[in-house]
Amino acid sequence: MNFAERIPMTRPAFLLGLFLLFLAIGCREEPGGSTVVDEGTITGPNTPTPYALEVPDYFPAPVVDPENPLSEEGIELGRHLFYDASIFSTEGNMSCATCHQQELAFTDGFGRAIGVRGEPGPRSAMSLVNLAFNPNGFNWDGGEGKLWEQAIHPVENMLELDNDWQEVIRKLREHGDYPARFRAAFGIDKVEEIDPELTVKALAQFERTIISADSKFDRVVYKNTDFFTELEQLGADSLFFVENVPPGTLHPGCGHCHNAPQFGDNKFHNNGITDVETINDFVDKGRGDITGNPFDNGKFRTPTLRNIALTAPYMHDGRFETLEEVIDDYAAGGHGVENEDPNITGFSLTEREKAALLAFLHTLTDEALLTDPRLSDPK
Amino acid sequence: MKHLLPLLLFLPLSGCLDDDDLLEPLRESPVTVAFRAEYDEAPLAIQREAYAYPTGDSLKVLLFQYYVSDLELLPAGGGEAVRLADIDLIRWMSATEDATVERTYSVPAGSYRGLRFGLGVKPELNAIDPSEFAANYVLNENEFWGEQTRYVFAKIEANALLEADGRYDTGLSYHMGSDSLYTTVTFDRTFTVDGSGVPTLTVVADVLEALSGTGQTFDITDPQKQTVHGGNQAVATGIWNRLAGQFTLETE
Repeated sequence: MNFAERIPMTRPAFLLGLFLLFLAIGCREEPGGSTVVDEGTITGPNTPTPYALEVPDYFPAPVVDPENPLSEEGIELGRHLFYDASIFSTEGNMSCATCHQQELAFTDGFGRAIGVRGEPGPRSAMSLVNLAFNPNGFNWDGGEGKLWEQAIHPVENMLELDNDWQEVIRKLREHGDYPARFRAAFGIDKVEEIDPELTVKALAQFERTIISADSKFDRVVYKNTDFFTELEQLGADSLFFVENVPPGTLHPGCGHCHNAPQFGDNKFHNNGITDVETINDFVDKGRGDITGNPFDNGKFRTPTLRNIALTAPYMHDGRFETLEEVIDDYAAGGHGVENEDPNITGFSLTEREKAALLAFLHTLTDEALLTDPRLSDPK
Repeated sequence: MKHLLPLLLFLPLSGCLDDDDLLEPLRESPVTVAFRAEYDEAPLAIQREAYAYPTGDSLKVLLFQYYVSDLELLPAGGGEAVRLADIDLIRWMSATEDATVERTYSVPAGSYRGLRFGLGVKPELNAIDPSEFAANYVLNENEFWGEQTRYVFAKIEANALLEADGRYDTGLSYHMGSDSLYTTVTFDRTFTVDGSGVPTLTVVADVLEALSGTGQTFDITDPQKQTVHGGNQAVATGIWNRLAGQFTLETE
C-alpha cells in the first residue's frame, strides 16, 4: 500500500482522535465530578441559513456586500439589536429604532435627530428604506462606504447614543440570549468573538431587508392594480418627471435627482437651499467635510422620496416643516452659489399644479411598510 | 489509481512546447485606454476653472459624462474586432478628479489598425430597463429618463456667468440621448501590442468643441437653450453632433 492510498483510510481516525482531544481540552472537571462546557463557549446551531432579499422585478438587483452576506439568523439578530434599548444606551432608553421608527418610514419626526441626552444632533435621521440599493456611501455626507460601517459611530457619538462599544459588547457577551444568536448568525464558538464588527454587520443585515416597494405609485405604474387620480397624474407626467419637458420650460424637474423606482440618486448635490456668499461659508459643509474639497461644501446625498409624506421635517437639517415649504423653496430657484446643481432653475406653479405635485408625492407612501411584522420590534 | 500520479506529472509537461511561435495567437498583453476631457484644449477642471465662452460669457463645468458602447480594437490583418467593453460610463463630476480616466484591458498581442466605439448606449442595451441590472451597474435609473426616451447618452452641466455680477448663477444642463443619436466613432491608427510595454490609447473629448465648434456656437444666453432634457432633443442636436465629431485619439 502506498502512502497516497493510506491517507484516506487513516484520516477519519486521525480527525476523530483530534476531535476527542479538543473535547477533552475544552472541558474541565467540576468539583462535583460532572463535566461542563468551558466558560465562554457558546452552544447551539452555528450554520447560518443564506437569505435572498425579496426584490420586486421592477427594482434593480441590490448591491452585494461580500463582506456581509445575508442569513436568516443574521437578519433576525439584527432586528433584535435594532430595537434593543437595553444594549445600546447606558440607561436603557434608546435604540436604533428611537430615531428610525417604522411608522414614520424609519425616521423620527424631528428636524434634527435627538440624542440620548436630549440634545439635537447636527442633522436629521435619514429614512432607512431601500438602503440595499445604494452604491454610493451612507449618511447625508456619504462618509461611510458600507452600511455596516455606518452603524459604528452612532453608538459612541455624544449626540446620539453616547455609549462606548466596550460596554455594549460586555452586555452582549453576558446576555442570556444574544450569544446563541451570534453563533447562529456568524458561526462563532466563544463569547469573546462577539465584537463591534459582528454587531453592526447584523444590524446592517436587518436594515438591508427594509424594502419599500408597495406604494400607490408602484401599484399604478408597475403592478397595474390601481390608478392615479387626475391630479396625481398631472403631478407625475407634467411636473415630477423630466422625460418630456418642452425647451426652455422652467420645471420642477424632481426626476433629475429623484427618478423612479428608488426616487433618490444617492449622489451629492448642492440643491440650492442655503444662501451663502461663497462656497467656503457653509456652516455644515456636508460632503466637503468628507472630501476636503471646498467645491463639495454644501452638498448632501439625495435621499429617497419614497414615503416622503411621512418623513417631515425635510432636508439634512429639517429646515422645512412641510412639503409645501420644500416646493416653494425649490420654486424660488436657489441662491446662485457657484456649486449649486444646474438643474435647480426655479419655476412657477399654479395652485392646481402645486396641489398636483403634492398629490403625486403622497402616492409614494408605502402603507404596508409601516406595519410589516418582519420589520417590527420582535418583542 | 496507480496511473494517476504519472498522469498528473505528465500533464504540466505536455503543456510546454519549444516553439513559441505556436503560442503567439493566444498570448495576451495589457493595453490602456485613457479618456481625457478638455476645455479649449486644456485638461478639464471640474468647478475649479472659469472658462471663457465665445459669446463673451464664462462658465464653470460641473459635469461631463458620456457612455461608450462596444469599445473595440481593430486588428491590422482584418478579422473580428477585439471587444474591450460592451458599455462604460465615462464621467467627470468632482473638482478632485483628474482630467484623465484610465481603463486597462488584456488583449491578444499583435498589430492593430485602430480603435472604435459607439457614442451612447447601443440600441440593444438602450432597450433594456435599469431594473434588469444591479443598482451599481453603469446602466441605472439615474441615467434613465423613462420608458419612451430611455437612457441619457451624454450630459454637460455648467453654471454660467451671464451678467456682470460675478455670480455663476445660470444653470446650463444638456442631457442628450436617443437611438437616433447613437454614433459610431472610429479612429484609424496603427499600433502594436507586444508585451514590451503597456500601450496607451487616449481618447480626447473637448467640452468647448461640443458647445462651440465647426463654426457654430450654441447660444447659452438664450433661455430657450439653457436646458435640454428628454423629449426636446432637437435643441441639442448640434451639441451632440459636434460632440460625436470632435473626438481625437492619441497613442503612445
